[in-house]
Amino acid sequence: MVRHASPVKSPAVRAAVTVMLTVAILGALWVPIYARVLPMRGDFPFFYWYQLILVPVTAILCWISYLLLRARPAPRARPAPRAGSAPRAGSRHARGARR
Amino acid sequence: MSHTDGVALAVVVASFLIVTCIGFASARWRPAEDPMHLNEWGLGGRGFGTFVSWFLLGGDIYTAYTFIAVPALVYAAGAAGFYALSYTIMVWPIVFVFGPRLWSVARARGYVSPGEFVRGRHGSQGLGLAVAATGILATMPYIALQLVGIESVLTVLGVGGNSSNVLVRDLPLIIAFAVVSAYTYLAGLRAPALIAFVKDTLIYVTVIVAILYIPSRLGGWGHVFGVASAHLNSVNPATGKPYGSLVVMPAGQWAYATLALGSALALFVYPHAATGLFAAKRRDVIRRNAALLPAYTLVLGLIALFGYLARAVPEVNAGVKAGHGNAQLSVPLLFSSMFPSWFAGVADAAIIIGALVPAAVMSIAAANLFTRTIYKELFRPYASPAEETRVARLASLLMKVGALGFALELNKTFSINLQLLGGIWILQTFPSVIVGLYTRWFHRAALILGWVAGMAYGTIQAYRTSGGGQAHFGGSAAPVFGHTTYIAITALVVNLAVSAVLTVVFRWFGLQDGYDETRPADYIADPVPAAAPRRARKAEPAAGGKAPRGSTVPWSPDAAPEEAPAPAEAVNARQAPAAAPAAQAPAVEDDATVVFDIPVSLAGRPQPRERLPRRK
Repeated sequence: MVRHASPVKSPAVRAAVTVMLTVAILGALWVPIYARVLPMRGDFPFFYWYQLILVPVTAILCWISYLLLRARPAPRARPAPRAGSAPRAGSRHARGARR
Repeated sequence: MSHTDGVALAVVVASFLIVTCIGFASARWRPAEDPMHLNEWGLGGRGFGTFVSWFLLGGDIYTAYTFIAVPALVYAAGAAGFYALSYTIMVWPIVFVFGPRLWSVARARGYVSPGEFVRGRHGSQGLGLAVAATGILATMPYIALQLVGIESVLTVLGVGGNSSNVLVRDLPLIIAFAVVSAYTYLAGLRAPALIAFVKDTLIYVTVIVAILYIPSRLGGWGHVFGVASAHLNSVNPATGKPYGSLVVMPAGQWAYATLALGSALALFVYPHAATGLFAAKRRDVIRRNAALLPAYTLVLGLIALFGYLARAVPEVNAGVKAGHGNAQLSVPLLFSSMFPSWFAGVADAAIIIGALVPAAVMSIAAANLFTRTIYKELFRPYASPAEETRVARLASLLMKVGALGFALELNKTFSINLQLLGGIWILQTFPSVIVGLYTRWFHRAALILGWVAGMAYGTIQAYRTSGGGQAHFGGSAAPVFGHTTYIAITALVVNLAVSAVLTVVFRWFGLQDGYDETRPADYIADPVPAAAPRRARKAEPAAGGKAPRGSTVPWSPDAAPEEAPAPAEAVNARQAPAAAPAAQAPAVEDDATVVFDIPVSLAGRPQPRERLPRRK
């Protein structure tokens, strides 16, 4: 039973995912943008609260990317390659099983 | 520090006993039909869904050493220690990209370790061996450091401590490790996976309580940052420079960024992280977890702040001074001076159990590497699965004994140096493993020589780096062209450059490249786990809407279809027998929701029963 994650995604989706993941990585990698004390939030210097906020932001970006890349809808588009008398019998079995 | 806190100790011992029971009981969790298979012992049956994987990976990657060493670094040097936070932020988008490919090819080909993948992908035994040896070499001191984490907690608890006899002093450590080895031997990856639930619950509880409770007792975060800032700006008499800074200074930013990036790239080349990845049930689990595991990163960030909290507590500063300036005592000391005894015990237990989970996974991962890439490849090519499992079990014991030897016999500084070297070394397998997932452009011989160059450069550079009062191995960053850079990153650049140049040269001379046993389809394969029957039945009542409209042929949920690019037995050992009857239709539907009552005559064999006990 092997499925294949659908590699075919629209260029727009791929671009969006690339941008989101790049933003997430660069947000942490590009130290000069957050190596500063001001603006403070509460008693926290920017350096600390920025990184702590970046954690959930990264998680959300990854989750959106996951939703976009999910293989779910793809399989239905693929036709069953086998034909013949088997199909009808099969669907009957399948349906019978779903009580 | 000489007195023993009875209540806290009792809580720690009780937690340890509970965890031990869970460890031994885990051998019966999701029992397999044939436990003597490396897929079972070494990867927990490759059946962990999002939830279990989240606990396992979190428990495995965020180790006790991290929980001790990161705040220790923050305690001593301030902002520089926060590189661990940005490292664990960027690791997840990175894993999101390559994790699914690595998982797919490992599942499709039945690999249990990165070394095997490299051997198969590049058709090079030598390269596989190099990757396996690097993995084992880097893992051993890592396990030893888990012991260092346990030790610092025990010291603060007043256990062991003063005796000059190694055996007496470290007896608690030895007992703890012997017990862990025993249940890891029996249950394999199931034990740490189950114990990870306890570990993570304790860690989350501790961190949430600590972060809500301690600052208010210390006069708020403003005061905490004030004290930290005053300390960091004061001049260290040993170096004549300030101890550190509250925000990374421009001079330190390059080191900060390369340390974070290098660690993030290296993480999933480490055998223990890869093992956690391979144990996932489905391809989707990886990406979902890349989005969910940052929860631990948040915890790590808060734990890093403990370093500042500890700085604001006079008792901690006095205790660290009494412990010869060992900053690693700061977090356990913070717990013991801020919490009532019983809760300090809970927090200490969190750290100790937090050390046992990764130690178990690491020894399993190293054992998998050894068995498949070294033992089977070099000595017993036709070893049966049962023999593999036996060897892996023994190897996991050996790894633990070795690590214990490291921790007890050798100087502690030595294990920390080795851990530092391990991080540099393991990144040198990045071109073979991760780049190899995408391209076979590199020649196998060039990759080996690039690895040699990277290893040599990294080791020599680390040796030449002084710092922290040490002439050698004094730090993990060294200046390159005026920028202080994480040595692993520089070594990786050297490695890639050598590999690229030699690839061109070898191609020019027509040197033969290895045979690639993987197929492009392997990298996007998403084989459905053998647990399908169980899941299918569970999903039954709700399956109506998701009915398999496109599915037209009766097929055994277990049958490996011809569409599978891999030889059937490689897809999943359990599926192999079912492959015998000509598989009918390839996977078309979201099979998890499909149920078929297949007459035995049609399916060719009785429906597999091995997974049913799991239903409970």
